[in-house]
Amino acid sequence: MAGKRFDVAGLMQSKVTWAVIAEALILLVCFVIRPDFFSISYQPSTGMLYGSLIDIVNRSAEITIISMGMTLVIALGGTDLSVGALVAVAGAIALKFLRWDVLTYTTPGDYTVYPYILVIAVPLVVCALMGLFNGFLVAKGGIQPIIATLILMVCGRGVAQILTDGKQFTTGYSPFRVIGQGSFMYLPMPIIITVIVVVAVALFTRKTAFGAFVESVGVNPSASRLSGIKAGNVILLVFMITGLLSGIAGLIYSSRIMSNDSNNAGLNFEMDAILAVVIGGTNMAGGKFSLAGTVIGSLIIRTIVTFVYYFGIVAEATMAFKALIIAVVIVLQSEPVRKYFARRAAMKGGAGA
Amino acid sequence: MTGKNILEMRGITIEFPGVKALDGVDFSLREGEIHSLLGENGAGKSTLIKCINGVNRKDSGTILLDGREINPSGPYEAMTLGISTVFQEVNLCPNLSVAENIFVGRQPMKHGRINWSEINRRAEELMSRFHLDIDVARPLSYYSTAVQQMTAIARAVDVQAKILILDEPTSSLDENEVQLLFSVMRQLRDSGMGIIFITHFLDQIYAVSDRMTILRNGHLVGTYNINELGKVELVTKMVGKDMDVIFSLKRANVPEDSPVMLKAENIGDGSRIDDMSLTLRKGELVGFAGLLGSGRTETAEMLFGATRAVHGEIFVDGEKVSIRTPFDAIQAEEAFCPEDRKRDGIIGDLSIRENIMLAVQSRKGFMHPMTRQEQTELADKYIALLGIATPDCEKKAGELSGGNQQKVILARWMATSPKVLILDEPTRGIDIGAKAEIQRLMLEMCGEGVSVIFISSELDEIIRCSNRIIIMRDRAKVAEVDGASCTQQDILRIIAEGAA
Repeated sequence: MAGKRFDVAGLMQSKVTWAVIAEALILLVCFVIRPDFFSISYQPSTGMLYGSLIDIVNRSAEITIISMGMTLVIALGGTDLSVGALVAVAGAIALKFLRWDVLTYTTPGDYTVYPYILVIAVPLVVCALMGLFNGFLVAKGGIQPIIATLILMVCGRGVAQILTDGKQFTTGYSPFRVIGQGSFMYLPMPIIITVIVVVAVALFTRKTAFGAFVESVGVNPSASRLSGIKAGNVILLVFMITGLLSGIAGLIYSSRIMSNDSNNAGLNFEMDAILAVVIGGTNMAGGKFSLAGTVIGSLIIRTIVTFVYYFGIVAEATMAFKALIIAVVIVLQSEPVRKYFARRAAMKGGAGA
Repeated sequence: MTGKNILEMRGITIEFPGVKALDGVDFSLREGEIHSLLGENGAGKSTLIKCINGVNRKDSGTILLDGREINPSGPYEAMTLGISTVFQEVNLCPNLSVAENIFVGRQPMKHGRINWSEINRRAEELMSRFHLDIDVARPLSYYSTAVQQMTAIARAVDVQAKILILDEPTSSLDENEVQLLFSVMRQLRDSGMGIIFITHFLDQIYAVSDRMTILRNGHLVGTYNINELGKVELVTKMVGKDMDVIFSLKRANVPEDSPVMLKAENIGDGSRIDDMSLTLRKGELVGFAGLLGSGRTETAEMLFGATRAVHGEIFVDGEKVSIRTPFDAIQAEEAFCPEDRKRDGIIGDLSIRENIMLAVQSRKGFMHPMTRQEQTELADKYIALLGIATPDCEKKAGELSGGNQQKVILARWMATSPKVLILDEPTRGIDIGAKAEIQRLMLEMCGEGVSVIFISSELDEIIRCSNRIIIMRDRAKVAEVDGASCTQQDILRIIAEGAA
């Protein structure tokens, strides 16, 4: 009895619980207003399932993937502002390989100029190296992560512009279309990629001791070093992973629009990713992290956006409305509120026993 | 001196998740007395004073101030009721003047502006009551820790306090400064104030207090007049064990032919230490004596790779090793408990389990993880072995008391079964029971063949435990003496004069 009572109080203390509750509440409101919000139908022409829920998960793919890396960066006590710019870089490189040289291949069509493997691999490698550059500045240069990653945030889009001579390419290459618009097992491909990424990051951090090392360095870098953890290598690896994941998100994004857009691709993704991590219960000061929480955080952000579109709230009010809901979620998760409910749960459990 | 009770606490119980921090404790404070609050780390002293000044909420019990029940919701409300607290770490603003620090938040006003001359005059008056003749307009950081402490006390008493709580005010003061503080305390007592005094130094308790209350594991042991209880009885009551047993420690027995386990030849870090050599035999305990800054810590850090030795050679178990980082040192089966437990040792937000498994895991590398069950077994084994006071191994290490944190760090290194264990001030800031226990563990490990380097500022524990003592001064080794035959006077003389 005592054990059970303690569990309820403990759950109420957890930020992840509150993220789940918030998501459930938002979905409930959707359901009340539009009962068909939850309907999912099969579209034989595309071989995919359709519905608002599928759409939410599908559209949250880029942020979910990026925020897996962001979770680790924040657990180290840092932030990575460059992820949005890296999304643009990945798209620019992919499109460059698909259409290079545009003067020869004047009209977009179902072809690629360079081998498809380069279209996929080069953007990922470049983004990973850019992440490594961030990590190098932080680990070896001792520069604060927010400043170190500001460099690529600012110049990343410039690099993307230079790579594409400031042009916006479009393509019709169908294997490339599969990444963002294809399907597998009735589900949109971005969902499949997201699941693979989330599982891979979760296995890598929790089935090895890497997650524990990240948390340890995030809480106390000096003590971690003296315990034999190579803190510098941990930092390098985390930033590299984040860069790589930004590259994957960049490929999905540019495949959705079948184009590159150096100005708008991945715009404000860094903020949404940070928000997803924070809503998911990972402390900005570093330390314990929750990948599951981050996934829910990312879903909450996308649910709000879908909600806004779905119910025809005027476009001008979208941002304000999003901010309002996020404010409510953050307050629900704040220390006093969680403590209040935890105490109530403990008292209730006590009375029951 | 037998004034009426100004503060009475009855049946105070405070529960934290999983632990009863205080269990039905009674406490009373009289007008015009200095009342020491004693107990080991984790006994509940801090919890009790935090209950008086409203930081912690009590679960049951009553607090009466002058016969009226009070229930302060925080330090500010407590202060308006006349309860002032000076915490262990001085929390003042070093860049403001002494006078500003005393009056910040309640500056006397004149025509809608701050009346500076009034502030400075009153601050001077207050400080001169403490026999401190200083320029109160200078920034606080200009003055010594003692003056800063006095400023904190002046601030506390100027708000018409009836009760003054001093939590470890003496831990960073030298002897003269302590005397100054005591005279101020006596003066305040004679003016009718009730003072609650917390310290780890037994001598100071006898020097200044009138009564004492002893807590152990959240329970009240008793309240005594100062002349009622001798030191040995006092410690026995605090620890709950017979001290004779604890102090019957025997230094390690090292056979003549015991092999050399650690050898350093002419190591130096290029700036602070130059040309340091030492040997350490299997199962031997070598103490490092010397003043703060004499090079003890720097040497230890070099031996462990925390700072890099730019020249010289290190041999472990007969093999030459290259130690550039702590990771290398761990591979060479060394272990190191650093001096600053909070900054370099404990990883506060992680659980005890994670703190203990860390060094073992980092030696294996992250690709060879220990399973959760292995980690729990390892942690539980050392929790039992070292007597770490915790409900389970999932408690955050940062929530433990100082002595228990030290044990967690010790466990982290014992788990790696090192050949060489370097302990830098492992007993600083922890209570006498935990101190004795750490010394016992140290000696037990020597008995099992571990070679130990023991750095401490307390000469008596160095002499009690060491086979050999290396005396350092001005960043160099000045002498090596036999632990069994030397006295404190010998060592002090060498430290002072610099020659053997």
